This record gives sequence, structure tokens and C-alpha cells, in this order.
Amino acid sequence: MRTFSPENLRLIAWGASLLLASTSIAQVPDAPGGPAPAAGGGATATAPAAQPAAQNGAGGGQKGGSFLGKDVPSFDPGTEIMTWDGKNWNVNNNRLFQARFEKYLNAPEETTAVDRQYQTVINNLLTLLAPGNATTQNIDAAFRLLPRGSSFDIDARLCDSIADAVYSAWRAQNAQNRLASANDALDSELKQEYWNAQHASVMDGSREASSTGSSSRQKGGGKAQSNNQAYEDTMLQTEHTKRIAEIEAVKKANSVKRELNSIQAKVEFQALILQFFLQRRFQHVLIATRFYRAVFTDGDTKLNVGKDTKDLFEKSSGLPPTVGTIDSMANEALRDVREGVQAYNFLLEKKELESATKRLAEAFTVGEFVPEIRTLPREKKRQALQFTQKTNQLISAIDVKDYTLAESLVKELGVIAKDFDSSKPMAAIDTSKQISDMHLAKARNAALKGDNATLEAELTAATELWPRNPALAELSKKIFQTGDIQQKAVIDFEQLLSQKNYRQIYDDRARFIGALAFYPDKAAKLKEVLDNVQTIEVALMRADEMVRQSNYPGAWESVEKIAQQFPDDTKLSKTRADLTPRAADFVATLQDAKEAEKRDQIGSSLAYYLKARKIYPASDFAGEGVDRLVKKIVPDNNN
Amino acid sequence: MLIAVILVLAALGGGYFLFGRASDPFRGMSPLPVQDYLQNSNSLRGNSYKLDGVIGQSLQWSPTVGRLFSVEVNGEVLPILVPPKFNSVNIEKGQRFFFLIKVEDHGILSAEDVKKS
Repeated sequence: MRTFSPENLRLIAWGASLLLASTSIAQVPDAPGGPAPAAGGGATATAPAAQPAAQNGAGGGQKGGSFLGKDVPSFDPGTEIMTWDGKNWNVNNNRLFQARFEKYLNAPEETTAVDRQYQTVINNLLTLLAPGNATTQNIDAAFRLLPRGSSFDIDARLCDSIADAVYSAWRAQNAQNRLASANDALDSELKQEYWNAQHASVMDGSREASSTGSSSRQKGGGKAQSNNQAYEDTMLQTEHTKRIAEIEAVKKANSVKRELNSIQAKVEFQALILQFFLQRRFQHVLIATRFYRAVFTDGDTKLNVGKDTKDLFEKSSGLPPTVGTIDSMANEALRDVREGVQAYNFLLEKKELESATKRLAEAFTVGEFVPEIRTLPREKKRQALQFTQKTNQLISAIDVKDYTLAESLVKELGVIAKDFDSSKPMAAIDTSKQISDMHLAKARNAALKGDNATLEAELTAATELWPRNPALAELSKKIFQTGDIQQKAVIDFEQLLSQKNYRQIYDDRARFIGALAFYPDKAAKLKEVLDNVQTIEVALMRADEMVRQSNYPGAWESVEKIAQQFPDDTKLSKTRADLTPRAADFVATLQDAKEAEKRDQIGSSLAYYLKARKIYPASDFAGEGVDRLVKKIVPDNNN
Repeated sequence: MLIAVILVLAALGGGYFLFGRASDPFRGMSPLPVQDYLQNSNSLRGNSYKLDGVIGQSLQWSPTVGRLFSVEVNGEVLPILVPPKFNSVNIEKGQRFFFLIKVEDHGILSAEDVKKS
């Protein structure tokens, strides 16, 4: 399958990170800052044309004297984690990458006539510069194609940059030729100066004159003249020697300038190649490397880069950084992207969208500008877009702990992507939901117990885990409603109690039982009230039954006994009032009995009680009265 | 003939009169004014009256105080205490008795004599 080694991926991702981070991507190697060729000997060094690398500048990317900031970026393909400048992020889960990737997925395929023309130009360039085809004519033809390539918008005028680099290299080579000519002239002059100096030392004025081409004056004989002549010869010799030294110095300087010119031209060209590589413009990398080999024919393809970059190349490829290394890596990247797109198409057919999207994202990361990526039909890309959008939504939903939405998205993803692994998100979702529900259960128990501290703590914990838990909203609503209802019920209970309106308390007992559960003293009072009213109700029911049997005295007595305990009960009072006329004889007899008993007329009182018992034999009132008075009359009974 | 019929009727009426007088053992005593007694027994305290009634039930018995009976008299029910001296008299529910009673303290009717009718 994938033959792209992790190290290569790392390097390419490194390049991608540079692009994504919008940093300066022009890596400028350690360029020797040699001076322009001196004008010695008439040789004039021509400053190279403005280079893209120089245009982009190096300063933007260099911070703290380190390559592109504090650290060299690194990518771990195992975890898909990119580390750069002290920060880590997943290349598939990065806002910038996501935005760029989604933009690509939404973009139409680049299959227009213009796009095809551009690719034709690029392919022609590569063909003309291919090893074996790189004749002088082909190189010139390729050079002439570069302006055509740069005329297309998609090219971003990168072909112009190559043309500039090639032209600058050629100009630099011309300058070297001129320096070589200057040195030849200096050599001739040097020889002449050596000859002059030699003949000046043997006082051969005629030779010197002939050698310099000027007439020499003949001096007369004599000692004084001889001394003067010797002095002049010495001075002349010194002057020639000085000139020889000057010429030697100029020659040396020119040699240095030639060397520097050569290095500088290479460095600038290499910088451009590196820039293309980091931009992932792999086709341009191939064009540039092939031009490089055509322009610099000395076989020196070693990249003059900084230590960090050199280390990076050596560690990732295991080879020293050379133009050949870059070239092979660019070819490998192109092949890898092609394979990634093929894999995407295959996985798409199999409805395995998760893998398909990952493969496309990887291919896009590496080869954003590769033709296979650019020409992928939008309809195919949009399937990955749909999956990507939903996975991004899922990540966001889990981030904000909206597990309801997350669960829904997991199900949708499972439908559209057969290979979607829902185990991890579902594990996270289920775990959080279960723990949240556990906290809610504890909160509910705390609410029932009136333990507000625990209630608050558990609600907070549940909210932190699953803020949009529907059960949380429901419980909160219930708690708030319960709070209001509870407070109102307590107030109502106290009010009714003060009014002795036990009947109303009994009628609303369901409300009060729940509300007063948190108040033991009030609950006890409520129980007492309910028991009493229950007793009244039982008496009333019994009275009703007796009325149905036309036993009005019995019904009246049943009500009367309770009425003595609960004289304020309205229902009881009303029933009692209704029954009294119906049991008038019985009631009047009992009343007479009580009055007579009060007057201590035991005999007549007993007579009334006996009469009452005759009317209603089961009467407790009458029976009790009889028993009571009988004991008074016959106290020493043996029963 | 007419005279004979009149004589027969007179003889029957006289016999009934004579029979009634002869069945009331306390025909010289005043009957108890029951309604007065019920309304205010204290007003009759110390008086003796005759009373003709049917035994309702035995309310209480004491060897020292005697037996207390409920007696129905003209639709009213009166308690009558029969002292131990009449223990030899069998008094049972439903039997008709003539009582010579005295209104004691607290309006208690105490039998001074008891005659079964």
C-alpha cells in the first residue's frame, strides 16, 4: 500500500505545517555573504536578479536564531499529531486544516480547458528537462516555456521564479567568465612587471625602454652619473615589485569573487527548490532540479543549507541533503498522492467513508497542488465533505458535552460510513451520560431528603458532565416547581390550622403530605388532623348507613358523639343539624335526662335514660346514663 | 220483661265495679303523677303513691339495697327500687305488679309494698 516512509511524511507534513501556519516559507540557507566581484581589471560583477527567496525574506520565519521559530516541527504519523513551536495538534482535527480541507472539498474540479493547457505546459517542461532529453536546445525550449506556464493563474508565477533563477545563474556564470578574462589580462601585466623588475636590477635601460615602449634618455659617463643611475634603477625596481604585488592581490581577489559568485548562484537556486518543496509544488520542484542540473554542470548538487535543515534531511531521509534527494522525494510525494486518490476512489465505492476521508485528507495534506488532487470531481469530494462535517460536528458536540446531538451524529455517521468506528465516541457519550444520571439520581434523593448541600453538589456535577441532559432540565424544573408548591403548601397548612379548618386540610391532604414531609413538627400535626377528620368521616359514613335504615336516633348519636370532640367541623355540624329533627324524641329524651341528672334528680333522670334506651336500644348515651345512675342508686352491687 | 233486663244489666255493672275495686290492693292511695315526677321529682319527695306497671327488666341487684327494676307505666319507663324485704317476691319481666311507692331523695322511687296483679 503506502510506501511513503514515516520520515518522509514527517518532512512533508512539516512543509504543510509551514504553509498552514502562514509563516514565511522561504528557507534561506546559510548564504555566504560575499561581496560583489571587484572591478579590478575591469571586471564588473553583476548583482543577481531579484530571487523569490530573497523577495520572501528570511526574517519572518526565523525567531530567536532558530529555524522557523523555537523548534523544528515534527509529525508523528502514528498519532497524527503535529508538534511545532511547543504546540501539538492532530492534523485531521485542526481548524486551519479543516477550513482548508473543506474549502478544497467544496471547490470544483480543475478540469477546464485552461487547467488542461496548464498541465500540458508543465508536462512539456518536464519532458524537455527529463534526463536524456536535456540537450541545450531542449533546455532553451524549456526556458522559453516558463513564461507560458507562469501566465496561468494556478501557477502563482512560480515558473517565473524558476526562469528568474535560471537567468540569474546564467548571468552569474557570465560574470565568472568576465572575471576569468580580467585575470588573464592581469597575468599578462604581471609577466611584464616581472620582466621589468628583472631588467631594472641589471640596469638595462634600453630593455626597459623597449619593454615599456617609451624612449629612454642616454646619460653621460662619469661616476656621479653612475651613482645616480644606480639609484634610479633601484627605485624603478621597487616600483615594479610593488605593482607585481598589487596585481597578485587583485588576481587573488578576483578568484575569490569567482568562487563566491558560483556558490551564491547555487545557493539561491537551491533556496528556490526548497521553497517549492515546502510549498508542496512538487512538479515545480522537478522542473527546478532539472534546470539546476542543466545550469550547474559541475556535478556539485550538495544543498548548502543550515544545520537544522541539514539535520532534518539527514534524519528523515538518511541521506545528505542534495538536489537529488529533493528530486526523489518530490517524485515519491507525487506517487503517494496519486495512490492516495486511487485509494479514496476505491474506498468511496465501498462506502467506507472514514478511511476514504482520511486517505484523501492525507493526500491533500501532501499534494494539495498535485493534478490528481486538483482534478478530483466535486461530487466525489462532497461525500467526504459530508463525513468531515459530521465528524467535526461530532467533535464539537462532544467538546460542548451535547451528548444527545453527539449520539445522533454517531448514528448518522454509522449509516453513511460503514467503517465508522463508533465505539470510542459512544463509550465517551455513554460513560458521561451514565455518570451524569447517577449524579441526578443522587440529586433527586437529596431533594427528597431536603439535603440542599448535596442537591447542589450533585446537580453541579451532573451539569458539568452533561449540561444539556434533558433529565437535568426536567429535574430542575420539578425541583423549582416543588419548591414553590412546597412553600405555598406550608403557608396554606398553617393558615388552615389557625382557622381550625381541618376539613380543608383533609380535602387537600395529598398536597400537604408531600409538602410537609420536610417539616417533622408540621407533619405530626398534619397526621393528627387527618386522623381526626378520618374519625369524623367514619362517623358520618356510619350515620349515613343508619339513615338509610331509618335509624335516625342511631345516626344522630353517631354524629353527636364525634361532634363533641370536633365541634368546629362544618360537615359534621351540618349533618348533626340535619339529623336532630329526625330523631327529635330521642334527642329530647336524652336532653331531659341530662338536665335531670344535672339537677341531681337521679330517679327521673334514670327514667329518661331508660326511655331513651327504649327508643334506641343500642344507644351508648342512654346505656351509659343508665349504668351511671344505676350505680348511684345501687352502689354496692356485686356485678 | 224490661224490668228484668234492667236488673240483669245492673247486676253485671255492679259486679264489674265490685271486681275492680276488689283487684286494686292500694285503692286508697293516689296514683303517681308520672309527668310531674319526670319534670321535677323533688316536688314529690316524701310522698307515697300507688303504681301499676309491667316489669321491663332488672337493672341492678344488691343484697343490702335491693333490686332495681324498670317498670313501664302508661308508655313511660320508671325505675323502681324494690328493697330486700321483698326478696321473697318473684319479680320477672313482663309481669304486672302493683307497687306502693315512696318518692325518696333524688327522686328515687322505692317500693313500700309489692303486689302481683
